[in-house]
Amino acid sequence: MSAGGVVSLSRRSISNTLRQPQMWVPSMAFPLIFTALNTGAMGRATRLPGFPAESFLDFAVATAVVQGVLFGATAGGSDMAVDIQDGFFDRLVSSPVSRPTIVLARLAGAAVLGAVQSLVFMAILTAFGAQVRGGAPAVLTIVAVAMLLAMAIGGLSVAIALKTGSSEVVQAAFPVFFISLFTSSAFFPRELMSGWFKTVASVNPLSFMIESVRALIIGGFHVGDAMRALAIVAALAGVSLLLSLRALRSRLAAG
Amino acid sequence: MNSLGIALSLAGRNLLLMRRIPSVVVPSLVFPIFVVIAFSGAYSALTRLPGFPVDKMIDWILPMAVVQSSAFGGVNVGLSLVRDLQGGFFDRLLLAPVSRASLVAGPILGAVVRAFVPLAVVLATGLAAGARPRGGPAGLLMLLVAAEGVAVIAAGWGVGLALRLRDQRAAPLMQVGIFLTVFLSTAQVPLAVMSGWLRTVATLNPMTSILALGRQGFIGPVSWAQTWPGLVALAGGIAVLGTFAVRGLAVAEQ
Amino acid sequence: MSKPAGAASPRAANVEVRGLVRRFGSITAVDGVDLDVAEGEVFGFLGPNGAGKSTMVRMLVTLLRPSAGAARVAGYDVVKEAAKVRRVIGVALQDAALDPLMTGRELLRLQATLHGIPRGHVEARGGELLERVGLTAAADRRVGTYSGGMRRRLDLAMALIHEPAVLFLDEPTTGLDPMSRISLWEEVRRLNIDHGTTVFLTTQYLEEADELAQRVAIIDRGRIVREGPPAELKAQVGEPTLQVVVPEGDLERAAEVLRHFGEPAPARPDSLAVHLAGGAAGLAAVVRALDERGVQPVSMELTAPSLDDVFVEATGRRLEGAQADPAVPAP
Ligand SMILES: Nc1ncnc2c1ncn2[C@@H]1O[C@H](COP(=O)(O)OP(=O)(O)O)[C@@H](O)[C@H]1O
Ligand SMILES: [Mg+2]
Repeated sequence: MSAGGVVSLSRRSISNTLRQPQMWVPSMAFPLIFTALNTGAMGRATRLPGFPAESFLDFAVATAVVQGVLFGATAGGSDMAVDIQDGFFDRLVSSPVSRPTIVLARLAGAAVLGAVQSLVFMAILTAFGAQVRGGAPAVLTIVAVAMLLAMAIGGLSVAIALKTGSSEVVQAAFPVFFISLFTSSAFFPRELMSGWFKTVASVNPLSFMIESVRALIIGGFHVGDAMRALAIVAALAGVSLLLSLRALRSRLAAG
Repeated sequence: MNSLGIALSLAGRNLLLMRRIPSVVVPSLVFPIFVVIAFSGAYSALTRLPGFPVDKMIDWILPMAVVQSSAFGGVNVGLSLVRDLQGGFFDRLLLAPVSRASLVAGPILGAVVRAFVPLAVVLATGLAAGARPRGGPAGLLMLLVAAEGVAVIAAGWGVGLALRLRDQRAAPLMQVGIFLTVFLSTAQVPLAVMSGWLRTVATLNPMTSILALGRQGFIGPVSWAQTWPGLVALAGGIAVLGTFAVRGLAVAEQ
Repeated sequence: MSKPAGAASPRAANVEVRGLVRRFGSITAVDGVDLDVAEGEVFGFLGPNGAGKSTMVRMLVTLLRPSAGAARVAGYDVVKEAAKVRRVIGVALQDAALDPLMTGRELLRLQATLHGIPRGHVEARGGELLERVGLTAAADRRVGTYSGGMRRRLDLAMALIHEPAVLFLDEPTTGLDPMSRISLWEEVRRLNIDHGTTVFLTTQYLEEADELAQRVAIIDRGRIVREGPPAELKAQVGEPTLQVVVPEGDLERAAEVLRHFGEPAPARPDSLAVHLAGGAAGLAAVVRALDERGVQPVSMELTAPSLDDVFVEATGRRLEGAQADPAVPAP
């Protein structure tokens, strides 16, 4: 596969997303709104014994990043479904572009958007007083995590798009991502949960990823946390890459 | 036929359509149930903060989820209206020799009836999951009043926006409006626990009084002090958004 | 049969339009229209796509406010007495506004209620109309599954639920197959003859106006360019055209003969055509003159001018396929 093909197709996928503000504005606005609301409502939760951060805003930075990437990365998949519905996909398939390039370009596009989102969130929340204690290495790690997570979510939605060819179905998958996020320790520390909810959050891989990212923000840079966060998202990205390539192969075989 | 009869038959149509598009109904039930379970699970520790009047988070969240679900049910009426406006069906209604107000009252009445469904389902789920209505039947009645009042207000909002924008652009505005009104109030925590700007906004937000009205039966016995501000807020909201909806008709008629 | 509330009116079921104008921003969709439709008349409003027909209908049925001018339907002002107008009219809009999720019967029931049919008569009236438009078998299917022709028929049935005195039909047969078109024509004719219903019908089809309307107005770019009974309009355009096919060697001689009977008209290479100055009556003279010069015509065909010729004469364009240039800027 050619690097040039990936670059030009991923540029198309990024500009496609940017051209449809309804695809990315909510994914930028909602995490910030949630952060503002939750910081106002739960700011005093930091006084509860066991709360891991000194400020709720610091605690919420990781939430905003992960939530934004989750919201944003579904756009690539639903765009792919639109391409399939419009027949643009068939045109690509019949062009000399190698087939996996079609999928890889989407994921590269999602990764770039994820990186931008994470930087924007960190910049805005820092302006409102949040602190990333791990400094530059933590910021770099978080950007890398955001990119891999975007590829993981983007890959899953691309796989769904290739399987179903319907952008409605891709968007319907969105609540599933949202529920997975909500049943993790994304919004509240696991230390303060109890009962069955804690059990669920403790087996949700998103909890470990997000806790490692959060540790880089509220604690400081530790290689262990960085590696753990990266390993989890890399594994998720790998699995969903495989799924999307397999979905591509079965669509091509069926077509 | 009188205006009420017309409004009733339009409301009937609205309910018929609700049954024919399950994809509208199912999320409006699943989402609030998820809110009840996830919020009361994730934030259970918040009740330990000083000023939190209940010791189980579900008692705080359940009434909010019920009110929220009827609010979303209410704006769904606005979404149906967008469909009628775009498909031209609303022209047929405008052509009928009936009072213009009944064309707006019909869907709003539909929202009132519709709101019973999530109300019953979400309430039953919450009670099964351990919420305790300490205020007894009177408390549940107050929740019903709050939820139905909010359904009317939300329907007024949805209908008014639909008539002004006449296309799908109205949908996100309707939902974001409801979302912000609910969450910029005591949706998640009481005023005493909030800090900063949110506390100021929530104090001013009439939704805070409406939630207090509906929620009181899950905190203790029903009291007049927790009831009248909510009733005033509901009456004000119905007057303002009802007018917004009826005025929208004049816009739609050019 | 039930007597719908308020439909009984001793007034003349006519339409009067004076100086009606409707602008949309810089576009003037209807540009100063005057016309009169008499009670009991079928009036055809003929014009190409974008001419302003639907805008005109929407103003007459109270859905759209005129920018200037006035119109009365059954004596009621469409702006000031809109509620009264709504009681006496039946309307089938251009895109049959039906809810695809409802069944035909449910829609008729709702329409009956909206138009004040007493509760006890709703079912009977609906059933009767379904029967009349041939939808009894499909009555309990969702409208989403209906064909284009079925939708139009249901729309017509709904427009008739309260036995309106004036019926407005906006392009009722556009997109229909010929069979459905003819059955709709028959229904309109029957309504007009049996019930004396005044019908205001818009169309892009010449045959439709010709076939159904006692009088037509031709609208182009928001203005009425011709108005009158189709026969009169056609007669005004002038003489019928005579087409004569002659053996090749006789072409010149035949042309010389025909020159005496009228202006030459465009014709195919193997034939000649002439606008017959004396009308159809002159045909015998032509035959005799040709015979005298020894020309034996292969065939002769006399065609009356069509409404299309009327349209061409009025606008310089053909109606069929004409897309009116809509951008008539407001003064
Ligand atoms: N709501 C509207 N807004 C702007 N322009 C309109 C509107 N309705 C009609 N027009 C314009 O007015 C002109 C006449 O349209 P219409 O009455 O629908 O024509 P017809 O029914 O003869 O095809 C067209 O140029 C059309 O684009
Ligand atoms: Mg038209």
